[in-house]
Amino acid sequence: MTNKEKYKKAFSALEPHECSFQEVEQMAVLQKKTKMKIAAAMITGCVLLGGTGTAYAMNVGGIQRMVQIWMHGERTDAVMDVTNDGEGYSITWKDENGEEREVSGGGIAYEANGKQRPLTAEEYLEEWDSPEVEYLDDGSVWVYYRDQKIDITDKFDEDGICYVQVKDEKGPIYMTIKYQNGWGSNRKKYMDPKEMWG
Amino acid sequence: MRQPVQELIERYQKNLYAAAFNICKNQMDAEDVVQETFVQYYTIKKEFENERHIRAWLLRVAINKAKNLSMTFWKKHKCSLEDYMETLEFTDTHSRDLFEEVMKLPEKYRIVIHLFYYEDYSIWEIASILKLSESNVKVRLSRGRTMLKNSLQEEWEDDE
Repeated sequence: MTNKEKYKKAFSALEPHECSFQEVEQMAVLQKKTKMKIAAAMITGCVLLGGTGTAYAMNVGGIQRMVQIWMHGERTDAVMDVTNDGEGYSITWKDENGEEREVSGGGIAYEANGKQRPLTAEEYLEEWDSPEVEYLDDGSVWVYYRDQKIDITDKFDEDGICYVQVKDEKGPIYMTIKYQNGWGSNRKKYMDPKEMWG
Repeated sequence: MRQPVQELIERYQKNLYAAAFNICKNQMDAEDVVQETFVQYYTIKKEFENERHIRAWLLRVAINKAKNLSMTFWKKHKCSLEDYMETLEFTDTHSRDLFEEVMKLPEKYRIVIHLFYYEDYSIWEIASILKLSESNVKVRLSRGRTMLKNSLQEEWEDDE
């Protein structure tokens, strides 16, 4: 048996969950409707756990918190639920058409000693607080971050690399974007495309 | 040319999943990547030269999405590779050993090895998909092979 045959035989054990056209279509419609993804989420000051009790409530699944998210460059009220196992979260809000939207997820963080632990609610929200690069059907390319919206369509160099800065209260975020190939960011300097993409 | 996404899902989802898994080492992340790749194909207005072009594009997008996912500090899904491997049905222990050893390779060698041995791509095609030089692909392929040979010994032929 050749190495190729051995390799294919070994990897034939991988069986993905069936991806259906309906799922793909639904995701595409959702993306199109939403257009502008959440660029950031922030907890409003008055809803910290242990507060007055007016801003959070216990429900069956856990704790419900009022949060604010960035949508279309504007802050929007949303509700964040902690799921039963305490490791997952969902955020619901109404979009510009008054339709209810929901995202859910969770995750783990790796401690310095390599141990895993569930993300706290604050960390989950921070996870959202990162820039977003969007490729629109009209060919334009946009960077969103909180209330910043930058058209970078014509800013790619001949290697398809674009360097762009966004800002938050901690200072600039230097983004290195490769056209249709992902991006990376750094607080101190632009990342070297060679290190990222070889 | 364009192909209906239904046909592409049927034809390539396993390939995309294997490529994404090769990078993410996580079932759910890899499945997310596959779905997002097909969504991107479905929504993007892009004409392709032929089916081979579509296949290469799908693989490139899936690989890039998987890389982006694995570069983020925050991990959305937490099933370990070891736990997932317990659920896989390998035909024999050699296959399991090979799978395990491939997963131990550094990512930059792993994906080149995968495109060569699983997708049957040539060095030139791999270079084009990964946006690397051909010499770079050759080096990665050679180093990956050497590592596999060292760990698998007689279970891996010397095919330099």
